[in-house]
Amino acid sequence: MNRRSRRVDRWVDDLLHGRSPRRMRGGQEEADVLRAAIEMRNASPDAGLPDPRFVESLRQRLGRETQGQVPPAGRITRRGLLASGGLAAATAAAGLVVGERLTGSGTSTERHLVPDAAAWVPVASLADVPPGSAKPFATPSVTGFLVNNGGQITALSGVCTHLGCLLHLNPGARRLDCPCHPAAFAFDGSVLVHPHPQSLPPLPQLDARVREGMIEVLTV
Amino acid sequence: MDNVPHRDDSTDVLHLIDGDQPLDWEHVYRDNVTSIYRLVYSRVGNQADAEDLTSQVFLEALPRLRSSASGGEIHKYLVATARTTLASHWRRRFGIQVTTIDDNLASAAEDVASIDPLPRIRHVLAKLPPNYRRILELRFLERCSVREAAASMGISAANARVVQHRALRRAAEVGLEVAP
Repeated sequence: MNRRSRRVDRWVDDLLHGRSPRRMRGGQEEADVLRAAIEMRNASPDAGLPDPRFVESLRQRLGRETQGQVPPAGRITRRGLLASGGLAAATAAAGLVVGERLTGSGTSTERHLVPDAAAWVPVASLADVPPGSAKPFATPSVTGFLVNNGGQITALSGVCTHLGCLLHLNPGARRLDCPCHPAAFAFDGSVLVHPHPQSLPPLPQLDARVREGMIEVLTV
Repeated sequence: MDNVPHRDDSTDVLHLIDGDQPLDWEHVYRDNVTSIYRLVYSRVGNQADAEDLTSQVFLEALPRLRSSASGGEIHKYLVATARTTLASHWRRRFGIQVTTIDDNLASAAEDVASIDPLPRIRHVLAKLPPNYRRILELRFLERCSVREAAASMGISAANARVVQHRALRRAAEVGLEVAP
């Protein structure tokens, strides 16, 4: 049991770190265990959305290998990707979104994310987010963080406003860190660190409420 | 007897023929990349393999699509390509099919597992003995290392690995199925 458990644990570790698990052979019982691990992995808030850098690099590869041409970047529109369900990818794949925010005339206070046809979706139990803490959440269209500030619940987008990487929760420093560049946001969504020389917009907020002990966010 | 030659439905989306407009491949890619990625990810559980298989699906399918195919037909063909790509992935990696994409699944959007697995997982976790539930929550939901999980549970790391293994086996038994 010990040797097999170590092998399964290495497999689980690979999944949790986004690595391709090493090749192995096994019977049906082991396959069932691996399938359960894959399913558990899918429950993680950071699971399942494509990395915007991957989306763009595959687009370029497809242009080269199947069409012999590469259209200019930026033709992947935000609306198109949103329609296919990837907010993170959408915010990121088009530099033009960032460009709009940095240079557009919209004020930085317009940071409220209310999708068309939104509905209240329960995302966590209030008991799981004690005062002073933050917790990741994900819906089919949005990934973000719930923050409990002295009983007041806030829901923030979990997508860096620089180039769209998914933010990591850094509970010790009470901030949200970008894994791609030196950027970090406070638990109120404001920018703490941004990549020189750009300034960044704060994180968009979603409407959040508490119903019967569950935290709900207004999303699709 | 009817003179109209029989056409297999599957050939409708295959091969650009004379007179067809070139496929707007970028449009196809943009509309489908996220849903195909999510579908594949839900079956392999890691970013590296999900990216690799998603790339294979588009590289294989795009040259075969013709522009007259509807969005629904194209999506269905991409899902079918994902099904065979996943099958050959598991043959290489494990020898048997660890996960599959249902034959009847016409659209990635229909797939419950790739959209919201949390309610089913919570349901399964609730049926496990407390120590099994705890190790899976610590490892998968709270992202603890096996040593951190062991310390939190007051057991050795070797013991934690065995508990984790048994917990996954039990979770599989109580119906933790990837395919809906």
